[in-house]
Amino acid sequence: MCKIRIRFKKNGYMIFTSHLDLMRIIERTLRRARVPISFSQGFNPHAKMSFATALALGVSSDGEYMDIELDEKVDLDNLAKRISKELPEGIEIIQYKYIDKKAKSLMSIIKYSSYVINLKLEKKISEEELRGNIEEFLKEDEIIIEKYSKKKNKTRKVDIKPMIKSIELVNIDDENVLLKALLAAGSEQNIKPEAVMEKMFEKMDFFNKEYVRVHRLELYALNKKDKMVTPLDDSIA
Amino acid sequence: MKSIDLKDILYKVEKPARYIGNEINSAKKNLDEVNVRFGFAFPDVYEVGMSHLGMHILYHILNAEKDVYCERIFAPWVDMEEEMRKNNVPLFTLETHSPVKELDFFSFTLQYELSYTNILNMIELGNVPIRSKDRTEEDPFVVAGGPCAYNPEPLAEVIDFFMLGEGEEQIVQVMNLYKEWKKQGKSRNEFLEMVCEIKGIYVPSFYDVKYNEDNTIKSFEPKKDSYPRRITKAIVDDLDSVNYPDSVMVPNIDIVHNRAMVEIFRGCIRGCRFCQAGVIYRPVRERSLEKVEKIAEDLLKSSGFEELSLASLSTSDYSKIEDLVNILVGKYSGERIGLSLPSLRLDKFPIEVIEEIQKVRKTGLTFAPEAGTQRLRDVINKGITEEDLTKTVKEAFELGWTTVKLYFMIGLPTETYEDLDGIADLANKVVDIYYSIPKEKRGRGLKVTVSTSCFVPKPFTPFQWYEQDYRDEFIEKQNYLKSKLKNRNIKYNYHESKTSFLEAVVARGDRRVGETIIKAWELGCTFDGWGEKFKYDKWLEALESTNVDPHFYANRKREYTEVLPWDFVNVGVTKDFLQRENERALSEKITPNCRMSCAACGITDDFIGGDCKCVR
Repeated sequence: MCKIRIRFKKNGYMIFTSHLDLMRIIERTLRRARVPISFSQGFNPHAKMSFATALALGVSSDGEYMDIELDEKVDLDNLAKRISKELPEGIEIIQYKYIDKKAKSLMSIIKYSSYVINLKLEKKISEEELRGNIEEFLKEDEIIIEKYSKKKNKTRKVDIKPMIKSIELVNIDDENVLLKALLAAGSEQNIKPEAVMEKMFEKMDFFNKEYVRVHRLELYALNKKDKMVTPLDDSIA
Repeated sequence: MKSIDLKDILYKVEKPARYIGNEINSAKKNLDEVNVRFGFAFPDVYEVGMSHLGMHILYHILNAEKDVYCERIFAPWVDMEEEMRKNNVPLFTLETHSPVKELDFFSFTLQYELSYTNILNMIELGNVPIRSKDRTEEDPFVVAGGPCAYNPEPLAEVIDFFMLGEGEEQIVQVMNLYKEWKKQGKSRNEFLEMVCEIKGIYVPSFYDVKYNEDNTIKSFEPKKDSYPRRITKAIVDDLDSVNYPDSVMVPNIDIVHNRAMVEIFRGCIRGCRFCQAGVIYRPVRERSLEKVEKIAEDLLKSSGFEELSLASLSTSDYSKIEDLVNILVGKYSGERIGLSLPSLRLDKFPIEVIEEIQKVRKTGLTFAPEAGTQRLRDVINKGITEEDLTKTVKEAFELGWTTVKLYFMIGLPTETYEDLDGIADLANKVVDIYYSIPKEKRGRGLKVTVSTSCFVPKPFTPFQWYEQDYRDEFIEKQNYLKSKLKNRNIKYNYHESKTSFLEAVVARGDRRVGETIIKAWELGCTFDGWGEKFKYDKWLEALESTNVDPHFYANRKREYTEVLPWDFVNVGVTKDFLQRENERALSEKITPNCRMSCAACGITDDFIGGDCKCVR
């Protein structure tokens, strides 16, 4: 038994497949590629693969990760080539390596995610003005959102301020704004960029509130020195 | 030619991946190298249409032709339709996101009468005129095939031509003829004149229908002597030699039947008297064991599906079913590939086989006795006895099964309340059998589901002359069963009689019903088969405003002498046989299955000659 960690992209029309769909797509891809994947025991055996975080519908990404367990050790480059050939257009393997089979699960190590966010302007605004607006937004003591829990059928108030590590303005023209954001992600704390934008729009009336296009750049874990590293970094995996 | 950019509207609809295409094994072709563009349209959502085996077969066959490009089209769900209309996006193909108007053929498969309003809606969303008479050289040919096309008349005004029968060879003939016609630069009508000579092709505009004063049909006449008087369905001789997909599209989202499917045989030896499929798909033709095994291997390898399904009208009637199942289970259980065997009949399948399958994945047991008493089962020629059922159920319970589904029809010819009591008795017996097994031997949590559908008399069945129950009779019967099925282990489901009533109107409808369908669509009806979308009041309004009495079609007993709207179609089985079978039904006589003795249904006369292969 051994474990492989893979970084992959999700682009094009494939961004409209859900996380559940993606898991099925990947399992079938692995079957087509004749990957000797391990199966769980029990009544309904399932392929042993696990993903870092679920990507929302409509979000593209260069930073998706999954771990798969194999029954036998195989040549990785060859394996990756076989998988790549079988993946649907829009999903693409970027990096891969063997990791310790006792390595912590992806889900448990992910702490942050970086995004590029594309917004549309309804009114023209200058770069300085927008910068000022963003700074002000980030200076608030707390940013409260209401989170709905299906299980409890209740909404509760959550302060997302600590989950926003940074929001930077990358580019602006008459119609478009490009932001970069670093936000908490993972099983402990997680905030979607769409939710942050919704709060931001409350303070800024010059955006088209219907239009938020998100692209994930990368996922980060913290290594022993509390440094932000990717899940494939040697200092953790 | 520009493909449509859907991205922005896909952010606004549910399940956007319905519209993206891009599946593994979907056909990618260079449009510049293609001579004929064929749109295969399924008048329902992606998840339903993609589960349909016939589409995969024809898609494969058409795309095997180098210069033909077959693309898929599905009905957009209501939210998508709204966005498309708002943003002026026409109906498009999944493969290239091209507007359907650019196609040469816009082809519908007719699987269900209540999908007809979707067809109209899709044609209009494609910016193509609804009626064939309004189409010009700019428009694609709007064509249709599939089981409901055997009574093509309700869509006679809409469809340019129908393709009756099995499409594997016929559709290639049509494509070849089209290429020739295109080269010659002839008119649209000239193509229809040419295509009607191909077996199974029906061009409705070439025929006149006259009616009697009592609204029955007086005559059905070709407008020219050169048009065929009868349309004979196309069939393929040998399933082993006909092209079957060696790879199949893998959907990116979950669909109704999300698995690899191998058709093991076509036709049915049984002769259930309510069943249209059992007649129209005759004669029985099996695919050889070796071929099935090979196809299964190819499909699983190329798709990566984790489940394989054996498709046919009655899986257990495959002559080598045990061998086949053993081979497949032996070959694939190690790879965790499940085997699903739909349309199980309990009178042949040994429980050991079911046990084999259970090793991979556990599903509930499903039985379709269809009627509650032996008398009524004899009337409908459903050769299942109570003993068959109780024996199998007992063995299944002993093996740990706890979920049993029982399917019945209500409103069958000659049905009385005794037959309904029989349904309740059978269900209760199943419960008793479960409790008769010692606690430590049986599984926990028994669930028996009884489902009843409302009988819809269909063309080309021995019951085609029969009157359907009125709605209040159905409702009364459903309420009666509700009161009789009060056991806590039994759940009773029943089909809404409103949709079955309309299904009966359209199934045996003529050209005049076509006007009602168009009107209903104009009034906003689409997705009529989807419970919550069904607008019964709008349908009633459409019937009234087009002067069509639904009871004339649904609830009227026909005489044998009456000219039926579909009489001009030759499905191989003779009207004489259907009449004989109806008489036998009324005298509660069963007819043995085709392997036991030949019932002289007529399929051997024109179609295959000599002995029927099903006796083999």
